[in-house]
Amino acid sequence: MADDLLRDVEQFFYREARLLDERRFHEWLELFTDDVRYWMAGRRTRYPQSSKAITVLAGTRRDDGDIEDELPLLDETKTTLIGRVARIDTGMAWGEDPPSRTRHIITNVEVEPGATASELTVYSNFLVYRTRAETEQDLYVGARQDVLRSVDGAWKIAGRKLILDQNVLLPKNVSVFF
Amino acid sequence: MATDVSRLVDAENGRISRRIFIEQEIYEQELERIFARCWLFLCHECQIPRPGDFFTTYMGEDPVLVVRDGNGQVGAFLNVCRHRGNRLCRAEAGNAASFTCAYHGWTYRNDGRLVGVPFIKEAYHNALERERWGLIPVAQVESYKGLVFATFDAEAPPLREYLGEMAWYLDAFFDRREGGIEVVGGLHKWIMPCNWKLPAENFAGDGYHVTWSHVSAIRAGFGGDFRVGADPTGVALSPGNGHCVMTVGANMNADPPAPEIQAYEEKIFPEIVQRLGPRAGTLKPVAGTVFPNFSMLKPTSRTFRVWHPRGPEKTEVWAWVYVDKAAPPEVKEANRLAGVRVFGPAGVFEQDDMDNWQACTQTGRGVVARRHPLNYEMGLGHDRWNDDLKAVASDYRFSESNHRQFYQRWAQLMAAEKWSELKS
Repeated sequence: MADDLLRDVEQFFYREARLLDERRFHEWLELFTDDVRYWMAGRRTRYPQSSKAITVLAGTRRDDGDIEDELPLLDETKTTLIGRVARIDTGMAWGEDPPSRTRHIITNVEVEPGATASELTVYSNFLVYRTRAETEQDLYVGARQDVLRSVDGAWKIAGRKLILDQNVLLPKNVSVFF
Repeated sequence: MATDVSRLVDAENGRISRRIFIEQEIYEQELERIFARCWLFLCHECQIPRPGDFFTTYMGEDPVLVVRDGNGQVGAFLNVCRHRGNRLCRAEAGNAASFTCAYHGWTYRNDGRLVGVPFIKEAYHNALERERWGLIPVAQVESYKGLVFATFDAEAPPLREYLGEMAWYLDAFFDRREGGIEVVGGLHKWIMPCNWKLPAENFAGDGYHVTWSHVSAIRAGFGGDFRVGADPTGVALSPGNGHCVMTVGANMNADPPAPEIQAYEEKIFPEIVQRLGPRAGTLKPVAGTVFPNFSMLKPTSRTFRVWHPRGPEKTEVWAWVYVDKAAPPEVKEANRLAGVRVFGPAGVFEQDDMDNWQACTQTGRGVVARRHPLNYEMGLGHDRWNDDLKAVASDYRFSESNHRQFYQRWAQLMAAEKWSELKS
């Protein structure tokens, strides 16, 4: 992939991160296509295939990477993402009142061709620091896989898959966007 | 010396001391007298269908290994190696004929027997009595409608007796149709910085908070119909032994606002009444808690969960999403999505709960704040035993009747040294 394409995608992500950190959620929503699937899951703790800690009695082992059929943390459409922002706008979303202060750090961006000529598959890592009220703080760290689609000369997010690396989630809630 | 909790819980007058939510000594007493004594939920049978399938969980703070052995029998053991006390199985779930400890290699079969000790001949001179050093089993393990429970107390009454009149209400959640329920995918696990009793009492009887705590999600279209005006009936019910259920009127539609689910619920309603009896036609159970820490919910999101205690100010919640096994695939999928979007750590309802329970716990650190009791007076004197409902019933949908029953049972257990001192 050409350097200028990579640069272009990175700038798109940085701008998106700034919109989130500045709580400009309506502008953030405009970055998504109407058919987006926005999905997040945590990680499992399983013995790997090579582990000698157990001898298997029946069937095949499940690896800790097999999370597609797990219960996700988020499985959203454009409509439900709009609903989540509308919820905050009511002024009665108490878990975000007072609001979280976030800093989205996006790194390790890799760009690959997508399923169609107008799409890219983009891998990245995220580190989201959240602090709130007096001393609350949380770290949300994980991997992201996006489908970016070129629409009228601008990038739109047509798919987002987020993997949070924690098993038992340490933050009390996931009330911020990624 | 046990703390005398009789002065801390005044159920008669609806006053509860904040000390029970914050003090370490009281917490330690809870681990002994509540969690090492009561029937606690382990998992649903559908999570371990095959011989060798295992699931690791906790009873109180004790790690527990639940496993279906080669004969299909479900057993539960402390997940602890007998040699040095290392955690034996480190995975959350899987399938195993045997488990080997990572420290010195002691190996246990999935029925708990110690079958392998490295250098048993040379180092132990064959003198180690392996049959005495198997995994420590729980005292009793039993299932009710696919829900697997266990207790560490051999004196505890059988599960069915422990559940008592609560059993019918569990049927209304988990056995509404032939085949019962199944869980969807895995489960959500996360840490709440609050005392475990706050979520337990909330699911037990706090219909009151829904219309304020969750008003943002309701207005944004994520919830069912919670308007009291839609059907003002519905009551808080305590069927005994500290178990609690919240109900809404039969005409209330608190199901997730998904057309597949709405049509399905309407269609199966007569079948449910047929299966569960006329009581199911007069009210809809929507939430509840099996004492002490297993809670369930039906409207908006089908979830059941365990509130694992982790110290007076910390709770680890494990939450599942469930569906009727007999439901068609599109209804199961709609329930899965509602479950994920509305409850769980990112749920538009639940994310606000954790925030409230955290502060309700932490302000109790103040010694002066702690001197003032909490108010559990709602509906005081307006609750009485109802023969049709087989429960102590409130006379209005919002009441703290269930809370008072929950804490009364808590206080009885905390005061009693053994089961025989308790009347069930």
